[in-house]
Amino acid sequence: MPKIKKKRLGFVIDMTPMVDVTFLLLTFFMFTAKFKTEAEAEQKFVIKRPYASADTSKLPDKDIAIIKVGIDTLTGDTSYYYTIVNEIQRRQVYESMNLTSEQRKPQVKIGLDLLDQLIMQTRITGPRTRFAIDADRRVRYKWIEDAIDVLRKNNATAFNFVTEKRQ
Amino acid sequence: MAGGGGGLELPERQRRGKKFSKRKKKKRIGFRIDMTPMVDIVFLLLTFFMYTTTMVTPQVMEISVPKEVEENVEVNQANLLTLYVRGDGKLFFSMGSDDPQPIEYSQLRAKAVELNLLRKNKLITAFKPSPDAPYGAIVQVLDILNQAEAEIVRQLQAEGLKRERKFAFVKLSPEEVDKLKGL
Repeated sequence: MPKIKKKRLGFVIDMTPMVDVTFLLLTFFMFTAKFKTEAEAEQKFVIKRPYASADTSKLPDKDIAIIKVGIDTLTGDTSYYYTIVNEIQRRQVYESMNLTSEQRKPQVKIGLDLLDQLIMQTRITGPRTRFAIDADRRVRYKWIEDAIDVLRKNNATAFNFVTEKRQ
Repeated sequence: MAGGGGGLELPERQRRGKKFSKRKKKKRIGFRIDMTPMVDIVFLLLTFFMYTTTMVTPQVMEISVPKEVEENVEVNQANLLTLYVRGDGKLFFSMGSDDPQPIEYSQLRAKAVELNLLRKNKLITAFKPSPDAPYGAIVQVLDILNQAEAEIVRQLQAEGLKRERKFAFVKLSPEEVDKLKGL
């Protein structure tokens, strides 16, 4: 009995459109990608930001100093961290203070007294610098209250809370 | 890819056998490049960038606090709405010098709108979060109040009034901490 044998050795699909789309996506993601800053790459905590309803105001990326209140993922300790985004200003502030080489990092782990001095120096070097409090939603309000008091003491009465859009 | 099967083809010389033609035939109508490795790399990069991209950018909530003042400001108790957040995140409110009453987060917005419209621009909102309260709860209350604010502004505008917001963070006194604990 003759058997019809269908031979399909290697077939070809035109993948050109797929490759086109892939390249398009690749370029999109490559251009929108924003890499972590030096300070963020070093930090040993992840901030779970508090949820708020959608807002159009975004965190400015220049002339800003961020007070972070983070919970260390390893030890579980809460601490203040301070970052001045502008590098020139950061150098000016660090030079005007007696800091150890350990504390001359882009993001310093600090206590309240040092936070006070840093904010004061930040205000002197850049009166226009805005402040933002980027705290974990699980930390006790005491931490925020103290930070606000320090800000008030330095006449920085308008500041921002960094939040995340509620999905 | 289109040129993927290229490796299976026999080289030109062998296909022709031992015969060598003296005439060089250079026919190159449409050539194919094996794009497989390139596509591999492209996909790899694409997946990398897709996984590392975070689409959510943090937003901010603007907060203003008054400058440090020494003297206390006299406030009419009748126009004072106090909001408390207890250490466990429970929300309470009180009007004037009344005892704090528990309130759900979902009801706060309606309550704030109602009280503000009743007393027009006279109502002063004092927010007294407990130092032990989670920060997330405080932001939630502020967010609800901001939402209520939009509603209040709209309603007052309909009545031809200009909204003056009176809001303050106030520290919780030890007596109030004890009072809230008992509730």
